[in-house]
Amino acid sequence: MIQEFKKVWKQYTIGMLWLLGLLWPLLGIHSDGTMTFQTTFTVWTYILAGSFVCLMIYVIKGSGSLKFVADPVSRAAGNIKTTSTALPTWIWLAAGLIVALIYPQFADRYGTDVAISVLLYICLGLGLNVVVGLAGMLDLGYIAFYGVGAYTYAILNTVYGLGFWVCLPLSALTACIAGCIVGYPTLRMRGDYLAIVTLGFGEIIRIILNNWMELTNGPNGILGIKSIGIFLPVFENGFTFEHFWMKKLQLFYYFALGLAIVAAICVHRLNFSRVGRAWESIREDETAAELMGVNTFIYKLLAYAIGAIFAGLAGAFFAARMRFVSPESFTFLESAMVLCMVVLGGMGSIPGIILGVAALIALPEVFRQFESYRMLIFGATMVIMMLFRPAGLIPAKRVGTRSEEKEG
Amino acid sequence: MEYFIQQLINGITLGGMYALIALGYTMVYGVIQLINFAHGEFFAAGGYVGAIALGYFSGIGYMETHPVICLTASFAMAMAYCAYLAVGVEKIAYKPLRKESRLAALLSALGMSIFLSNGLMLTQGVYDKIYPSELFQGRFDFGMVTISYLQIMIVSLTACLLVGLNLLVFKTKIGMAMRATAQDKTMSALVAIGSNRIISLTFAIGAGLACAAGIMYGLYYGSVRYDMGFVPGIKAFAAAVLGGIGNITGAMLGGLIIGMVEIFGAGYISGEYKDVFAFIILIGVLYFKPNGIMGENIDDTRV
Amino acid sequence: MKKRVLSMMVMSLILVPFLFSAVSAKTLKIGSMSPLTGPYASDGTDIKNGVWTAIKVFEEAGGIPGYDKIEFFPQDTACDPRQAVAAANKLINLGVVGVVGAYCSSSTIPSSEVLDEESIPMITPASTHQDVTDRGLEYMFRMCGRDDDQAPAAAKFIKEALGAKTMFIVDDKTTYSQGLADGVREASKKLGIKILGHEHVNQGDKDFSAILTMAKQKNADVFYMSLQGYSPAAMMTLQAKRLGMDSQIVTQDAVFQPKYMEVAKAASEGVYLTYGFTDPNTPQYKAFEERYVPKYGKIAAYATYAYDSATALLKAIKAAGSTEPAKIKAELMKLDYQGVAKHIKFGPKGDSGSSYIAFKVVGDKFVPYWEPATGLIK
Repeated sequence: MIQEFKKVWKQYTIGMLWLLGLLWPLLGIHSDGTMTFQTTFTVWTYILAGSFVCLMIYVIKGSGSLKFVADPVSRAAGNIKTTSTALPTWIWLAAGLIVALIYPQFADRYGTDVAISVLLYICLGLGLNVVVGLAGMLDLGYIAFYGVGAYTYAILNTVYGLGFWVCLPLSALTACIAGCIVGYPTLRMRGDYLAIVTLGFGEIIRIILNNWMELTNGPNGILGIKSIGIFLPVFENGFTFEHFWMKKLQLFYYFALGLAIVAAICVHRLNFSRVGRAWESIREDETAAELMGVNTFIYKLLAYAIGAIFAGLAGAFFAARMRFVSPESFTFLESAMVLCMVVLGGMGSIPGIILGVAALIALPEVFRQFESYRMLIFGATMVIMMLFRPAGLIPAKRVGTRSEEKEG
Repeated sequence: MEYFIQQLINGITLGGMYALIALGYTMVYGVIQLINFAHGEFFAAGGYVGAIALGYFSGIGYMETHPVICLTASFAMAMAYCAYLAVGVEKIAYKPLRKESRLAALLSALGMSIFLSNGLMLTQGVYDKIYPSELFQGRFDFGMVTISYLQIMIVSLTACLLVGLNLLVFKTKIGMAMRATAQDKTMSALVAIGSNRIISLTFAIGAGLACAAGIMYGLYYGSVRYDMGFVPGIKAFAAAVLGGIGNITGAMLGGLIIGMVEIFGAGYISGEYKDVFAFIILIGVLYFKPNGIMGENIDDTRV
Repeated sequence: MKKRVLSMMVMSLILVPFLFSAVSAKTLKIGSMSPLTGPYASDGTDIKNGVWTAIKVFEEAGGIPGYDKIEFFPQDTACDPRQAVAAANKLINLGVVGVVGAYCSSSTIPSSEVLDEESIPMITPASTHQDVTDRGLEYMFRMCGRDDDQAPAAAKFIKEALGAKTMFIVDDKTTYSQGLADGVREASKKLGIKILGHEHVNQGDKDFSAILTMAKQKNADVFYMSLQGYSPAAMMTLQAKRLGMDSQIVTQDAVFQPKYMEVAKAASEGVYLTYGFTDPNTPQYKAFEERYVPKYGKIAAYATYAYDSATALLKAIKAAGSTEPAKIKAELMKLDYQGVAKHIKFGPKGDSGSSYIAFKVVGDKFVPYWEPATGLIK
């Protein structure tokens, strides 16, 4: 144990001294020409104590002194793993589905609301996964398609009075068209050039939403959007169908669940289809893919279009759920968050993305009790998660390695 | 005509600031192919430390007696602080991920950016930090055209830093080592260039430049804020890519172009769509020159 | 194994908030929603501090009979509609009886619909957009003024007190600033002021030199600056003065924050702004000042409104003697007293009325300068 500790103590001390040096100018120098050390040391001592405890646990765990705890846990985990492989996948899927179906019966309002957000972002994350995970194109403006979908429903509903079910495919269609428009000029670019161009397009669409007063009502947003309408048969006074607006959160939840499941199935099927293989080949080596007869132009455009369709569907649902849209929901930070969900979960892996979304939506909510420390902790968690699991929480199983990985 | 000249001056001031930030992006990218989203935060931290140092000097009364010395000292302190911060951030958040996929490092950078801006907010408060900017309050008037002393100072300081950086990168051994590391880490290691040291140095220089931009920003706009790094960060990133990411001259050019387009877009066409013009120019240039204005042809750069 | 542990950890983290929602007995719960992170964190923090002060004062004055304690739950909205709705749902879960918030109109509108479904009274201290109360929600109240009251007052001030013939308007494309700028433009046109230009900047911009150069060239009598928050306003003032612009600068209530003068310094001298009339000589204001200033610093625009909102809510609950929404609402409508910022009396829509007057920056203070009824204040 001492040996293990020796290995890290030097780095740890340097790190802590570095932190002290960083903190002091911020906390210790005052504009009235005085210097103090009190606050700096207090804050620093707290951090020191906290990180020391974490470090000790890590060191003790590394040295094997925690075997009496770790062993049963790992044995249990191993048992679960063997059972999980022994049982067919569909049982697990069915179990997950049942849990998802009965969840709103047990959760309260806030829990359901967070769950709806999670499901909505699963749909977005899976859509972005098509672009980033499968086709390998870094897209930093993805949220724009979500915005296009949301505004399509909002405008069609408030101006023309069209219902949600009519608008849903239309939202998907407009988002898809927007995807193609963005996709077309960017197809020649690769890597980071693509990233900045998609970021630019995302910002352009947001600015247009914010400034085109006649169409989008600018920063005021669009109010009074109808919720999702459903037809329920009422068997009083003969057979009539009463049309009423879905208000209950639970119904929203089930709709979001349906959307997420559809998205998951689609992405799964796509992944293992001819198209998915083509995308994968483009991701691994575009030149080689072209040589082998993959029409990279069409397939890249297709990836954009399909990604955008999912975003459009999610957008229409978002508008229906909030009953209000404004450009503030479609900023670059949102795009970055969706990208984070995909990368954090594990690119290309559907369970990974679901877990990544759950983590990144739920964490800011869990940290709500820290008030203004919320985002600080969130940022730190993101870095730490990436450091411990750089390939994502549940990395996708992949065939072969990339050329650059071999070099590294 | 006077209107045009005035806008041109505004554009050069803004573009110079973007160029300084863009340099950090481009240098880091050149060496380790990472889009360092936390770079905007170095800029903000620089602004804050500059404000703290200047505030301290005026607090002890040196500001009235020796303004130039105080300003120089503040610049030096803040740039050192940011270099120190950047080196640490690199060691903690990027170095362990160097072997992993580039998206992992990108995400880590994003997390770091959120962490740093919120850290600044928590240690420095939610209100703006004020710059004691009585220093350069005068201005020259040429008819309708106005040039403030601050603008002259910013433009000349920016020019000095840019020239200095160019000398460092192209005329010294260290610069040569940096360029070698950027081209091929394995080969440069073979000729005894410690890539870790060079990467740290690159981060330090990039952050120092961003910090200088941060202080100038504070002096020019009167105050700094914890969230100020975000928007200039994105603009500077765009500028770096426009010029051809990884290329130092390109970043300077890109910064100036983005600044100019913004100012002229706002001054002649429409203020609310000025960012749209900047991005349209960017997209247009990249459509015809997919590697940026001065970028070399890097084939097969992937996510 | 590592994977399992990590996923377990994440799952347990997700479950934590549900465990926290257990209700403890005999505390009255009040929530607030405001941006505690993000670009508007300063105003959001003022709101939080204002509500805190109100609760402290109320508890010291005897609290509410039958309750040991008033518990306060400040929630962060980050000015993002989605997070605002999540915050509202969280507050519902916590079982709050009333909410003070939110700041951005775009957060207030969707979250108020959620709160209204559960009949929880919500008093906004900061959202001035008409639609906040015009939607006819039963439990929506507003402590601050309305954009469509402020705009005519500002136009009248510009015409009568400043004698302006021409005007140049800039806004920063937020619900608040744009609504107000449009209102001022229309009202001024009616009064015969010529509008030489109406330009927009974007939220988060710091460099206004292009627009200001344009404004300087137009050389209007009045430069109307409609920006959300004191920070961009201070930067714009500073840059305008540096560029040598001679127009009178007029701005609005979001700038009513002492930090404005600290940032803009000498440039802020002589700037006019419209803000709801607050009498700093009332005993209520003095008492508030005594409590607030030592702890949180200078009093800002939204702290007083937040204080009044929370106090009104608590008074109504006390008078109602129960936490039933209908009774609280009935008592809220009956309120008629002098608060810190204004005289509080809610109208049928839930607005508490506006009393906009013009202030002038003199030194580092906002000095009342003009009021619509009687003209200049000496």
